[in-house]
Amino acid sequence: MNTGDTAFMLIATAMVMVMTPALALFYGGLVRSKNVLATTMQSFVCLGLVSVLWVVYGYSLAFGPDVGHFIGNFDHVFLKGVGLEAGPYAATIPALLFCAFQLMFAIITPALITGAFAERMKFTAFLTFTILWSTLVYLPVCHWVWGQEGWLLKMGALDFAGGTVIHINSGAAALVAALVLGKRKGYGRDSMHPHNLPMTVLGAGLLWFGWFGFNAGSALSASPIAVLALFTTQVATGAGALAWGLAEWKIQGKPTTLGVASGALAGLVAITPGAGFVSPVSAIIMGGVAGVICYLAVLAKTKMGYDDSLDVVGIHGVGGIWGALATGIFASSVVNPAGNGLLNGNPHQLVVQAIGVGATIAYSVVVTFIILKIIDVLIGLRVSSDDETQGLDLTQHSEVGYTL
Amino acid sequence: MIALVSIEWVYLGYSMSFGPDVGGVIGDLSWFALNDVDNAPSLDYAITIPHTVFMIYQCMFAIITPALITGAFAERVRFTPFLLFALLWTILVYNPVCHWVWAKGGWLAGMGVLDFAGGLVVHVTCGAAALAAVLVIGPRQGYGRTSFMPHNLPMTLMGTGLLWFGWFGFNGGSALAANEVAATAFVATHLAGMAGMLMWVVMEKFIMGNATTLGAASGAISGLATITPAAGFVGPNAAIVIGLLAGVLCFLAVRLKSRFQFDDSLDVVGIHGVGGVVGTLCLGIFASTQVNPGGVDGLLAGNSAQLVKQLIGVVVVGGYTLVVSWILLKVIDVTIGLRLTAENEVVGLDSVEHSETAYN
Repeated sequence: MNTGDTAFMLIATAMVMVMTPALALFYGGLVRSKNVLATTMQSFVCLGLVSVLWVVYGYSLAFGPDVGHFIGNFDHVFLKGVGLEAGPYAATIPALLFCAFQLMFAIITPALITGAFAERMKFTAFLTFTILWSTLVYLPVCHWVWGQEGWLLKMGALDFAGGTVIHINSGAAALVAALVLGKRKGYGRDSMHPHNLPMTVLGAGLLWFGWFGFNAGSALSASPIAVLALFTTQVATGAGALAWGLAEWKIQGKPTTLGVASGALAGLVAITPGAGFVSPVSAIIMGGVAGVICYLAVLAKTKMGYDDSLDVVGIHGVGGIWGALATGIFASSVVNPAGNGLLNGNPHQLVVQAIGVGATIAYSVVVTFIILKIIDVLIGLRVSSDDETQGLDLTQHSEVGYTL
Repeated sequence: MIALVSIEWVYLGYSMSFGPDVGGVIGDLSWFALNDVDNAPSLDYAITIPHTVFMIYQCMFAIITPALITGAFAERVRFTPFLLFALLWTILVYNPVCHWVWAKGGWLAGMGVLDFAGGLVVHVTCGAAALAAVLVIGPRQGYGRTSFMPHNLPMTLMGTGLLWFGWFGFNGGSALAANEVAATAFVATHLAGMAGMLMWVVMEKFIMGNATTLGAASGAISGLATITPAAGFVGPNAAIVIGLLAGVLCFLAVRLKSRFQFDDSLDVVGIHGVGGVVGTLCLGIFASTQVNPGGVDGLLAGNSAQLVKQLIGVVVVGGYTLVVSWILLKVIDVTIGLRLTAENEVVGLDSVEHSETAYN
């Protein structure tokens, strides 16, 4: 046990926790005012729901003793055997703290997806979806990448802080959700401008702050790698924000605050899998490229006509894929002995990264589709057309966001 | 509060709360102006951090406690009497209770009453004071007749998220070290917060038909307040049970309020008061030396005496706070008056007391 590491991880865990309320602000500001509470609630409730699931069986299935390289077993249900001694994943902090840190990741992932189906999903359907998706998609993929003996880990896939597990996974699920639920009423015809952009920008700022816990904390110790991860996170994010803004300026004539906030997020997403494996200069390239391609992906969405309301696919999906592949390109054993990428003479790493990306997308897409279809048949995914017009705040929660 | 209580803390509060003990009741004034409080660790409180760090950490608790009470008398108390009340309350209620429970030599501490991070010192005191305030000050004009909808719920939800984040420092930090107890407290805090939130919205769903975002926020705060005294003494599963209890009991308490016609405007009594009491008692039930070898066993581990001690703690702290707060408020009311004029209450505090408007 090391008190420095423990102190650092306690703080990092709290910082990752605050990312979920921050996401609620980010998303909440982007929707119309009649849906601000429902959108916020979807993120908030993940804090409750996923935590329970994590204690009861989630941690065990994700990080418990391996079954066929696919999933953990039930040894740690109700956190049995997860105590204050160090565990197999982090030698210098209590196992319970590692479990709490990982819990915060499991919370934010389904919360990310909510942006794709914002403003039209029934609350009960959302709750059911979150439980099923966390169980059937998040836990297995988490085990593949991070569990002892998970198959992607054994194959040598590099995912420092969750590019595959969190961003590609949620991005793929978001695409399916946007397609299965269909467009919002009046999409493409009525204006659906964000109702409160300062709130969104505040959320982006808090996300950026929390992300230091997310990426640097993934070193699981207050070590030089944590310093590297913190630094790469900062510069990739800066580059992403700038690049998106510049691309907008060039293509649409004006840089927007929403664009810069989205670009920051794209940079954060892209650097996540590589944060502890690449040099700061590579990080700037990764972030900058993410800013441009995520922007183009969001533009392309409009052309393709699906309603990924808050651009989860464009930012987390595309940014996550780019980040995972870029890690295979830029990883350098000079900064972290864990591995080299293409540019350092190891093209095999890029292939492994591509397999990880492909497997995660395929699995997430198929299972998410099945889950959504089943829920649609059993309880229905969407609110009624009238309810959608009135807004989810009033119809799902009997509240209104503002009485100014 | 940040300014007022911090000044008070430096010149009076820290010494009264944690200074050398006088009869178990209060600290003496030998640490006036932080005299003798320097960067060498305090052997009585935290031996691995500078004494100044312990002092300023405790200052933050002293600040938030009177701030919590303000929810009870929101929208109707003048600024000057409010400042006077906060100052006197901190001196006459917070400092002594803090000394009893946490200081070396404090009489409740000596009896074996435990309070990990402020269930008694922070939540029971603010809840009892809030009750006194509601009784003395009375309801807002038009309470029960006109609608008092929150003006900006997204703002409330953001506050909840930040409180939750800060609470990790509140409870995790109360271990005063980066060790196993801090990890226990951290995990218990999160799990109780989430269990409180879930339970509250489930209750709403069943009783009122729809789960609300305000309910989720209130439930989370209930869970967090309730786990506070017990955080470092109980395991993760006990923390969930405590959070679930908080969700039920605080929800019922808030509903009961409207029956009594109490205008505890922002539910300080129902959430912090009830949560603090329930949590302090739960410590006596669920505490386990398996989780924290430096702690105690509770009822479930075969030590019923601890529950009795906790109960005494609740009664003493709750009773003392209620009585002193009531007297304080009455005296201020009679001398300089607490409330706004009826006219000014309608106009609103922002404009009348601060010559500002929040939104344009």
